Amino acid sequence: MIIELKDVNKSYPGVVPLHVLKDINLSIDRGELVSIMGASGSGKSTLLNILGILDNYDSGEYRLDGNLIKNLSENKAADLRNYLIGFVFQSFNLINYKNALENVALPLFYRGISRKKRNILAMEQLDRMGMKDRATHLPGELSGGQKQRVAIARALITNPSLLLADEPTGALDSKTSREVMQVFRDLNAEGRTIVIVTHDPGVGEQTNRIIRISDGRIVS
Amino acid sequence: MIDLLNEILATLRHNKLRTALTGFAVSWGIFLLIVLLSVSRGLVNGMESMFGKRDTESMTIYGGWANKPYHGLKEDRPIELRDKSIEVLTVQNPEYIRDASANLSSDSTVISTSKDYITGGYQGVYPSTQRFEGLTIAEGRFINDSDIREGRKVIVLHKNNADMLFGREYPIGKQVRVGDLSFTVVGIYDHEWQKASYIPFSTARNMSGGSDRLRRITVGLRNVKDQQSSDKAERSVRETLGRQLQFDPDDESALWLWNRFSDYLRTSSAMGAIGLAVWVIGLLTMLSGIVGVSNIMFVSVRERTHEIGVKRAIGARPLSILKQIILESVAITTIFGYVGIVAGVITSQVISHYVGESDFFKNPTVDIAIAIQVTFVLILAGAFAGLFPALKSLKIKPVEALRDE
Repeated sequence: MIIELKDVNKSYPGVVPLHVLKDINLSIDRGELVSIMGASGSGKSTLLNILGILDNYDSGEYRLDGNLIKNLSENKAADLRNYLIGFVFQSFNLINYKNALENVALPLFYRGISRKKRNILAMEQLDRMGMKDRATHLPGELSGGQKQRVAIARALITNPSLLLADEPTGALDSKTSREVMQVFRDLNAEGRTIVIVTHDPGVGEQTNRIIRISDGRIVS
Repeated sequence: MIDLLNEILATLRHNKLRTALTGFAVSWGIFLLIVLLSVSRGLVNGMESMFGKRDTESMTIYGGWANKPYHGLKEDRPIELRDKSIEVLTVQNPEYIRDASANLSSDSTVISTSKDYITGGYQGVYPSTQRFEGLTIAEGRFINDSDIREGRKVIVLHKNNADMLFGREYPIGKQVRVGDLSFTVVGIYDHEWQKASYIPFSTARNMSGGSDRLRRITVGLRNVKDQQSSDKAERSVRETLGRQLQFDPDDESALWLWNRFSDYLRTSSAMGAIGLAVWVIGLLTMLSGIVGVSNIMFVSVRERTHEIGVKRAIGARPLSILKQIILESVAITTIFGYVGIVAGVITSQVISHYVGESDFFKNPTVDIAIAIQVTFVLILAGAFAGLFPALKSLKIKPVEALRDE
């Protein structure tokens, strides 16, 4: 079991507190390709934040690859993100003044791995994504699909337990969307656990399991 | 470390104009600090060389007016120094007084040769006058002890006066007329403003005749290191002369003392104050540059909120973000600070070249110690400028990565 959520609740404080996640119970096995779908305001982004250790929750329990994720210090959370999770974002989130190779190598920089070793590993990942010849290009010189490939390479370089994608095709046209989804399916075939958060039914159909969320509850 | 530097350079390059404008403020502040420091250094050097030429450990004593009764003598009477006072001072105050000299001048006597004449009279002096006045001997010698003992008719002239009296001729050994008497030139001296013609005190006394009154006595001091010992030396002079000339040592007006040592102390502390003021002004000027850097770092942190969020999301610890912001600020400050230092040093060299050497301004350069101090200040200031923006960057949550730009 890679992901295990037990009765997870989350509400945002305010004049009228907003209860966004209500008793979420969810488990995802190693090697699954799962999509989390829901309309905007359904609580899927909040669930993504909690799954990605980007935000904390109020009650319940969240285990990621056996680690209880609760009341972590900033440093511990940063380390767990670095070691366990590879993020793929809708807007790619590449650092625009770093070239493709440097972007891919960045997570290893925060692990204190030497520049030389980092660059070798980053080049391997770019090669796997078919982006080796674009290694020295800045993000601004790449197309959307290419950017997302670089971003996926960056997510994979730490060999994470979980690949977490947030609307990975949201900024891409339908052709490149299909290509990127194919990349995810190929990675899943290699045994990667992938969770894709999306509102696009077309993306959801290409995953093996769809978790629907509505009004802060899992409906199916 | 290299990665960090690359990262910093990349972000600085990314905003060239902004970096340049911010950096200019820092450069300007440092530039002013360096120029001010070098000018004040020039003033201090000038002052020190002025004191260096003159003997700072000396005191000139003038007779005054007794305002207090003493041993049955009434108040309100003049106190006049006597020839004997010279000996009394040296014999009775060995602890503080090294030697003493007096000065007997005639302002009206004309000194002449067949070629030309000079006015301004002569001064009868002791050998130590050379030290007190800071006279440099250019040719021959100054008045010596045998001249005094034997009352020789010898004279020491200022270079310019010797030129006037003798032209191109070599003056040493030549005769001049002082009033009606014939004197032998034994020495030529150089001094920036002192132009008197010196003859032995005893000779001058014989010429003026009769009275043994003195207008002033100059004593060379020893064992004076601070204000306290200098005050003690003054006190012992008042006591000694009070006994000899019959006045109350507490009577301030009986003697008028010009203590060059306390002058020197006062000037030194004034120079110290100038130095301090320059640092304060310089640092305050720099402060505006630093505030600019701090401001721009705030903007930079704000602009890069998303980027910082992404970095946090992929595993950057808060401290590594903090370190980067502070180092970036230190980099801006030191790089542009050095531009300012270099410009300041060049400017001070230019000032030194054009203003040149004068009495009160000498060698306005910045030495290595100041450069090190300024570098230290720069790094500290840069870190300080980056501190608050960096602390702000710590508040950025990794969730920012998911927010769309």
